[in-house]
Amino acid sequence: MDAMHDDPYLTKVRGWDGPAGGAPEVGTSFPRADAWSKVTGAEKYAADYYGQDLIWAGAKRAGVPHARVKAVHVEEARRMPGVAAVLTHKDVKGTNRQGVVRKDQPVLVDDKVRHCGDAVALVLAEDRETLKRALEQVAPDLEPLPGVFDPEDALRPDAPLLHEDHADGNLLFKADLEAGEGVKGFSACDVEVEHDFQTPWQEHAYLETEVGWARVEEDGTLVIVASTQTPFRDRSEAADALGLDIERVRVVAPFPGGAFGGKDGITVQTLLGLAALHAGGRPVKMWWDREESFAAGTKRHPARLHYRLGATKDGILKALQVYLLLDTGPYDHLGGVVMTLALEHAGGPYRIPNTSLSARCAYTNNPIGGAFRAFGVAQAAGAMEQMMDLLARRLAMDPIEIRLRNVLRKGDRTPIGVSLQHSIGMEECLSALKRHPLYLEREKWKAGAGPFKRRGAGAAAVMLGIGYGPVVPDVANAKVRLTRKGRIRVYSGVVDMGQGNAATCFQIAGSILSQTPDTLELVLPDTERTLPSGSAAASRTTYTFGNALIGACQALKQRILEKAADLLMAASAEEMVMEPGMVRHPVSGRDVPLARLAAFMAEPERTVTHRFRAPTAPDGIPVSEEVRIHGLGHTVFSYAAHLACVEVDELTGEVDVRRYLSVSDCGRVINPQAYEQQIQGSVAQGLGYAVMEDFKVRDGQVETRDLSTYILPTAMDVPDVDVVAVQTHETTGPFGLKGVGEIGTSGPVPAIANAVADAVGVRLSRWPLTDERVLEAMQGMEALISGKDEHRRYDIR
Amino acid sequence: MRPVFLPKNLGEVWEAWEQAPMASVYAGGTDLLVKLRAGLANPPALICMERLKELKGVRDEGETVFVGAGSTHTELLADPMIQAHFPVLVQALQVLAGPPIRNMGTIGGNVVNASPAGDTLPPLYILDAEVEIWSRVGSHTVPIIQFILGPGRVLLQPGDLMGGLRIKKRSGRWVHHYEKVGLRKAQACAVASLAAILKTDANGVVEEARLAWGSVGPTVAVCPEAEEALKGRPLCVETLRDALPVVQAAISPIDDIRATASYRRHVARGLLLRLSLLGGQ
Amino acid sequence: MIIRFALNGEEKEIEAAPDRRVVDLLREDLGLTGTKEACGTGECGACTILVDGAARLSCLMLAIQLDRRSITTIEGVGSMEALHPVQEAFVEKGAVQCGFCTPGMVLASMDLLREHPAPTREEIRKGLAGNLCRCTGYQKIVDALEAAASHLAEKRGKP
Repeated sequence: MDAMHDDPYLTKVRGWDGPAGGAPEVGTSFPRADAWSKVTGAEKYAADYYGQDLIWAGAKRAGVPHARVKAVHVEEARRMPGVAAVLTHKDVKGTNRQGVVRKDQPVLVDDKVRHCGDAVALVLAEDRETLKRALEQVAPDLEPLPGVFDPEDALRPDAPLLHEDHADGNLLFKADLEAGEGVKGFSACDVEVEHDFQTPWQEHAYLETEVGWARVEEDGTLVIVASTQTPFRDRSEAADALGLDIERVRVVAPFPGGAFGGKDGITVQTLLGLAALHAGGRPVKMWWDREESFAAGTKRHPARLHYRLGATKDGILKALQVYLLLDTGPYDHLGGVVMTLALEHAGGPYRIPNTSLSARCAYTNNPIGGAFRAFGVAQAAGAMEQMMDLLARRLAMDPIEIRLRNVLRKGDRTPIGVSLQHSIGMEECLSALKRHPLYLEREKWKAGAGPFKRRGAGAAAVMLGIGYGPVVPDVANAKVRLTRKGRIRVYSGVVDMGQGNAATCFQIAGSILSQTPDTLELVLPDTERTLPSGSAAASRTTYTFGNALIGACQALKQRILEKAADLLMAASAEEMVMEPGMVRHPVSGRDVPLARLAAFMAEPERTVTHRFRAPTAPDGIPVSEEVRIHGLGHTVFSYAAHLACVEVDELTGEVDVRRYLSVSDCGRVINPQAYEQQIQGSVAQGLGYAVMEDFKVRDGQVETRDLSTYILPTAMDVPDVDVVAVQTHETTGPFGLKGVGEIGTSGPVPAIANAVADAVGVRLSRWPLTDERVLEAMQGMEALISGKDEHRRYDIR
Repeated sequence: MRPVFLPKNLGEVWEAWEQAPMASVYAGGTDLLVKLRAGLANPPALICMERLKELKGVRDEGETVFVGAGSTHTELLADPMIQAHFPVLVQALQVLAGPPIRNMGTIGGNVVNASPAGDTLPPLYILDAEVEIWSRVGSHTVPIIQFILGPGRVLLQPGDLMGGLRIKKRSGRWVHHYEKVGLRKAQACAVASLAAILKTDANGVVEEARLAWGSVGPTVAVCPEAEEALKGRPLCVETLRDALPVVQAAISPIDDIRATASYRRHVARGLLLRLSLLGGQ
Repeated sequence: MIIRFALNGEEKEIEAAPDRRVVDLLREDLGLTGTKEACGTGECGACTILVDGAARLSCLMLAIQLDRRSITTIEGVGSMEALHPVQEAFVEKGAVQCGFCTPGMVLASMDLLREHPAPTREEIRKGLAGNLCRCTGYQKIVDALEAAASHLAEKRGKP
């Protein structure tokens, strides 16, 4: 079927499909520009690319967690009719290595298999049926090696090594930090609470799994269309791994059907590129089915956390000791960055003068740990906010009160020593929570529990640093153009995976240039047409790209006004005014339509680029440059206070989240609807993480292999979430905003756990709080189902 | 490529089986097609039953109701006779999977699939449903408790088709109850379930009780001793608690990916206590 | 084999293997990529289409089952120029984020409103329980259905 895609990879220029109307005002709810094409099914995702003579590519997955590769027998598969090629690492001409920080992951395994999802061969076939049968014929000859499935075991001196060439054995990364007097600070404490937590993997479970389409063009360009958060980085990783000149590689990023961090980095891109190089100019498609996504995709890092928190009898925090250990799986894949962010946020949004914080990140033969919305913070906040409630209980203090006594304010230092110089509304969030009807009426609500039901309310206060930290440049480049037809075209450098930054581009450009949305155009990220702007991650896209876009639009506006002044022979640009479709000279009453103006401008005159780099503040925190490179510490933070009202069933242990409140400070809200979308969505993912998403792995094998056993919340499982915005003004943010993408994800685990403790008096050492775990805890059993009953102590290494 | 037959009437079914004796039968496909994709079944051909009018419909037979095996769960939920006579089945159907699957799946499929977790099964057991089996040569009836032999195994010979269920109407004041414990509120495989119908007198004293548990054994678990223990006693927590020990002996749950046997034991007993809420209805 | 069915109001005659999955027939053979696939096992609802008005999962339907049926895919619901009230409500209420669940969700919504023209929020949640969304937390989808129900009621002239 030709009609489908004549030129599939030329990302079309999008216009505004909605009604023509006034210029979108910053601060008003505004329907998203992409909503129309998505609601009619017209929007083409990477999954929707097909084309004539399509070849299907698929990876043979190892299926064993740790093994030496003796050989990979592909002859049988190669011989099958309908099989175009079967490729191994021998066909990879470049480094055959990919990775963001440490390039330790092969495109196709060469020496060793390090997890069940490792790709050992790549099959190209005419159709999916043949592909499936050919993959069954590929026979890897593997010599099993002893596996490492526990991060503590991984760090023992005698542990089998995953990367023999890695100087630190199975230790990927570590960081130790002390502030004030460290553990000596406990001597000033009247009370102490101590607890261990164990957190699970979490599967992103985006509806669009990992998928892409690629083709080598006649001029030799390798074009890759991928569901990705990082097209520019993908391009350089693919060029490197496959041994190509980067100029020869083009990556195009349509709207992903969900990403949440799971597409931050290479998924299909290098395998696709390799396949396309052997497809004789035919287009190639690779689409991981759900089971492959579970086996080979990245997940949220599971963690073990040990917390010791001390305070005076008035509830003033004095000392904190934390040890956290992340299981990063077989490859780096941002593991060190996740660990570092967890460390930075380990103490929550509080003043704690004496801290001793240690973090380790270990290689294992388990699934790959990678980026996932609020990475590191979801784990740390899940623990810290439960510690605050434990402390409150010990002191017979109100949980909100104890938080308010310690909450960070402007000018304070965070638990790692970062000085807070930017907008901070943590206290206001907690105060707003206290005034909210859900909070005020909670006791009455609790008293209304029916037979066999117990109700509880729990709160949590969280913060999250946006951007990349002090060393890695958080940069975006915006390009805008006045087109020949007089329209404003924005070239977006950051991927919109659902968070709505594409729509925000319309809002920003429309607002600054005084144009109605029907005259605005957008080009989605494409390494050939738009400019590098970093990953769609770290809650930075609207902040960083938005700032770049503001600069570009302001500069374009200036150019347009100047040119119009020239044309109308006005005295200066200051006399000119932008209006929808034209520039007017009020003094004379004359105007010039933008299309006419454009005709007088050569393309370079009509095109403006602007670079923005997010501010950082050197804080003199005593850590190594390497730790700083991994992101410690941040400068601009978003904040939130959450309240969960739960009902626990005494007969089944079911935790029903009945009501939920989120009060967040993400700076100025420029589109309330988009803001609510992000908060409600992130809370829903946090809720799943808290009560039902129980990812099970045994000896490196994923046991919850698909959506029938890995339980995602349905429409009946998520309550209405009250969304309240405390609008501080972040002077460095576009129109005063801060990142809103992730802040909501970290609240649900502790808020719900605190609510369950309030309801039934039990606190688990792990999550999710499945019915089974809660029921068993209520019946007096130590809730460590794994059978390891004793509290753990961690030796600092 | 696998041949698929779409018979319009029973005669075409027998013909299809003559052409392809090893063909597998499906109606909604929500179980079989999932198994095919996973490589857990590989029949040489398929016969889709969705167009057979003979398998559709709910018929009033006077003292009994006949439910065609090809009736979808959605159709049964909307049927006035099912609503009037078998509320426990309605309650189970309401929590079975989600709306699209209820539009596709049939009660015949749920019975023949004989999953230990099948939602329609505990209600059908306590309603003493009978399965009507059709073959080319005739038909016969088997009580459902004999029809289901084990997980995925039913009393169908090659050439047999499940035609439908025959369920007796009950007289008197019966309270119907179905509770399913799953890992979320919808579209969840039952981890444990309880179907109950109770006949009480004007003072709330139990005259008769039928109980059946799902997902706590290879097939539906029944416990006549517990049913006896409730007779002549008021429907309250104390009465139900006294029945718990015999329930333990009647169930044989296992550990699986969704839950442990230990949890299933706890919950199977807990679900019984929930019946105390029905007292005074 | 030749299969005859109505697709989005148009009579179709297609040559296809009888056991070809309907989701593949729609997406690959007919180029109608609006219907999505996200699990292949009936767990997520992304592949939802309407068959004689009722929501069904096209990943668990074989081509032969299309015979003489009337099928509606998202492409047949409305157009950019003329959205169906359900689609309009989705846009207006912010029920679309990444959009991958949206086509299935819209079709499931249409079936729901056909059965329950004035659903409560609880009934809406129940009616959409077979369609997973990972982005929205469902709230704005429920808001959209409420608005669509009310809009449709107005059009029918009921109070």
